Amino acid sequence: MKDKDVFTYLIGGKAGEGVKKAGAAATSLFLDLGREAFQMDDYQSLIRGGHNFSVVSTSTREIYSHHMEVDLIVNLDERSRDIHEGHLAEDGLMFYNSDDSGEKDDGIGLPLGDMAKEYSKPDLIKGVAGVAVLAACNGMDQKDLKELIEKEYSRGVEENLSFGVEVYEEVDKKIDKTFELEEGKSESTVLTGNESLSLGAAAGGLDMYIGYPMTPASSILHLFAGHKDKLQVLPIHPENEIGVANMAVGATVPGARVMVGTSGGGLALMEETVSLAGMTEAPVLFVLASRPGPSTGVPTYTEQADLNFALNQGHGEFPLIVASPGSVKEAFFLSNEMLELVWKYQTPGIFLTEKHLSESAKTLDIDLDSLDDDPLETKMAAEDEEYKRYEKTEDGISPLKFPPAEDLIQWNSYEHDEMGYTTENAETVEEMHDKRREKNETLILELKEMNTVNEFNEGDTVIFTFGSTTMSVREALKFADVDAKIVQPVYLNPFPVWELEEYMGEDAVVVEQNSTGQLATLLREKCRIKPKTVIRKYDGRAFEPRELAAKIEEAIK
Amino acid sequence: MKFDDLDVESEIENTWCPGCGNFGLLNSVKQAVKKLEDEGIGRDIMLISAGIGCHGKIFDYLNIGGLYSIHGRESATIQGMKFANPELKVMAFGGDGDAYGEGLSHLIFAAKRNADITMIVHNNGNYALTTGQKSPTSVQGFKGPSSPEGSVNEPINPLRVLLSSDAGFVARGYPGKMQHLTDLIVEAVKHEGFSLVDVLQPCVTFNDTYEKYNELVEVLEKPAETRKEAVELAEEEERLPIGILYKEEMPVYNEKVYPEGNPVEDRMDREERLEAVKKILDEKR
Repeated sequence: MKDKDVFTYLIGGKAGEGVKKAGAAATSLFLDLGREAFQMDDYQSLIRGGHNFSVVSTSTREIYSHHMEVDLIVNLDERSRDIHEGHLAEDGLMFYNSDDSGEKDDGIGLPLGDMAKEYSKPDLIKGVAGVAVLAACNGMDQKDLKELIEKEYSRGVEENLSFGVEVYEEVDKKIDKTFELEEGKSESTVLTGNESLSLGAAAGGLDMYIGYPMTPASSILHLFAGHKDKLQVLPIHPENEIGVANMAVGATVPGARVMVGTSGGGLALMEETVSLAGMTEAPVLFVLASRPGPSTGVPTYTEQADLNFALNQGHGEFPLIVASPGSVKEAFFLSNEMLELVWKYQTPGIFLTEKHLSESAKTLDIDLDSLDDDPLETKMAAEDEEYKRYEKTEDGISPLKFPPAEDLIQWNSYEHDEMGYTTENAETVEEMHDKRREKNETLILELKEMNTVNEFNEGDTVIFTFGSTTMSVREALKFADVDAKIVQPVYLNPFPVWELEEYMGEDAVVVEQNSTGQLATLLREKCRIKPKTVIRKYDGRAFEPRELAAKIEEAIK
Repeated sequence: MKFDDLDVESEIENTWCPGCGNFGLLNSVKQAVKKLEDEGIGRDIMLISAGIGCHGKIFDYLNIGGLYSIHGRESATIQGMKFANPELKVMAFGGDGDAYGEGLSHLIFAAKRNADITMIVHNNGNYALTTGQKSPTSVQGFKGPSSPEGSVNEPINPLRVLLSSDAGFVARGYPGKMQHLTDLIVEAVKHEGFSLVDVLQPCVTFNDTYEKYNELVEVLEKPAETRKEAVELAEEEERLPIGILYKEEMPVYNEKVYPEGNPVEDRMDREERLEAVKKILDEKR
């Protein structure tokens, strides 16, 4: 087992049995071993019951996705055993709750129900069994297990320790082999995508975060609420998404750097305000954390069906910046960068991501020194000059001024003149359209100097992908016998045609998580790239790396 | 342009109908702003917002900074300004369609959280700019292009709604009593916390209520002692009491949530920010 490239651990059970926490504790254990890990939580839109699982894949190399070929499975109930039995790898170990499943031929039964009922929270404590099984199977001693429980389960630690040790001893008696994972050299941090993008924005000088709960964006609001004093980013949770977006636009008038976050349905409510931000030239960064639609859809799962929705936000014409990170780490640097861009260009931006990146956790190393210490400048008005909010300039960007001020500063949702007074004058209407378009042209010049497209690996065939699926493709290529290069446009609007022109006419493969092939269409329309094969997935689940590898091989060979 | 060179009223051509109740309202606002300036609350620290409709044109007619918002969202927009910099004094203008229809939820929650904003509603009982359809405050039987047989809705009583939403300052004014309205606006802006001034605004074109209001409007001597009594005042139909119906000092939102801070004035510098982020990253190890 020692040389295995990827080791995967899975714990499954009902909501309320501490499944997600056990996954996080497993990730922490792998981190302590100096290993890299990727944790994906699969949960339903309910609070109690149902079926949840947390799957963590670990390696001594960087790992970009969870796998579903599982080496160690802990099932806290019979439903979990039923669902995950088929995921067990050859040589894998499977534990099950014999109090729920009865004695079975396959796997190792543990009387978890009986053992847990002695404790004050017999449901919730079951999750601790997951960690105890992992520790025992990995050949760790009790002392290490206790340390881990103390670190990860500090609330009610006495009971957790006692239950953990009980399970550990039971497992120890029943297994005749251990995995003993090789230690790695990583000194990583572990972050979810939402944590990463939030901290990136905070590092970039975010002043306020405004949000209304909606999966999978809610944890951004929770992070800022929980770290209000540390980060000094004011968190606000108003009455609805429309309130969110309009408060955000208002907050930019006195100069607050503000970000909002939601999922597709919430952004649909905010869309009128995206257009308001375009017209008033209000720099607001909108995080769109996607989930399967249409409508309520499948709220706690993943899909990339909101690409077109993001690209086409807002009625009327105005510069709109849309970008999507291809890794949890990139989320940090991209939110930081986009905050600077929306301020420099005084226009709305959409940070597009999906549940799979928002809520999955990955080991990563964020080097704060690599942040540009000379950020893009926001154009400010000179103190003594006559101020006009929408002054015409060569680059289309008008200088900003914030109250308190002795000057009249008017932002206007109506078409307006340079002073910000409403106008219906034909000439002014045209001039202001030109001004906003010139701003977009300046933005494109800026993007041409920036990294707007990521490339990974080398090869004759080009695989296009974007967002969280980039992680799936990178992991899949570790298992596919092909020579392929991954091309991931980070910026999706303005679309970096200048970087992608070289692929014009290419027989490319496109991988994306939606049913109609929205990225493929975009590539065809903007760059005349002819996708030979579009590998799609739209069942709400992220690609499984080996399954995707097989599909890529089939497409290329 | 500097405020020193700008009158409170702008030089933009006024396109309200001759005789519109909005003229009296605009005059009251102008006088109120001048009074506030005399008391040290200058336009340099003042911001306004407005919704969309006839009322919204006041944004162009006033030389006060701010953001001309979209229909119904003025109360959300103005809260964003206030929360970003609590030093500022802010006023939002809305119509009855904006404030009591499209954006009612924002208004209720602004009162509930006691955001320190002043909301002035040009309540003319119809959607005038879109040619006179029924509005949330139209009386039953109101005939407009969308209700040719007469509105069947029971109208919203905005004062009662806001009183039940725990608003700390609820007032009603009438442009026919301009000086009185001016004083109400001054008091509303100076009140620390949410304040509503519902203005009975006759619309000469689609809902001419001058005669009715001139007959029924009666200046209140003093606010009600209790919220319950204020609701009774709001429900009166035989006469229309104007003035402050209810006033109560309560802790304001920004002081409850961030008593010390000001998001745009008290920022951490770059190094402090990175240090704060680093600490959280280290906790995730």
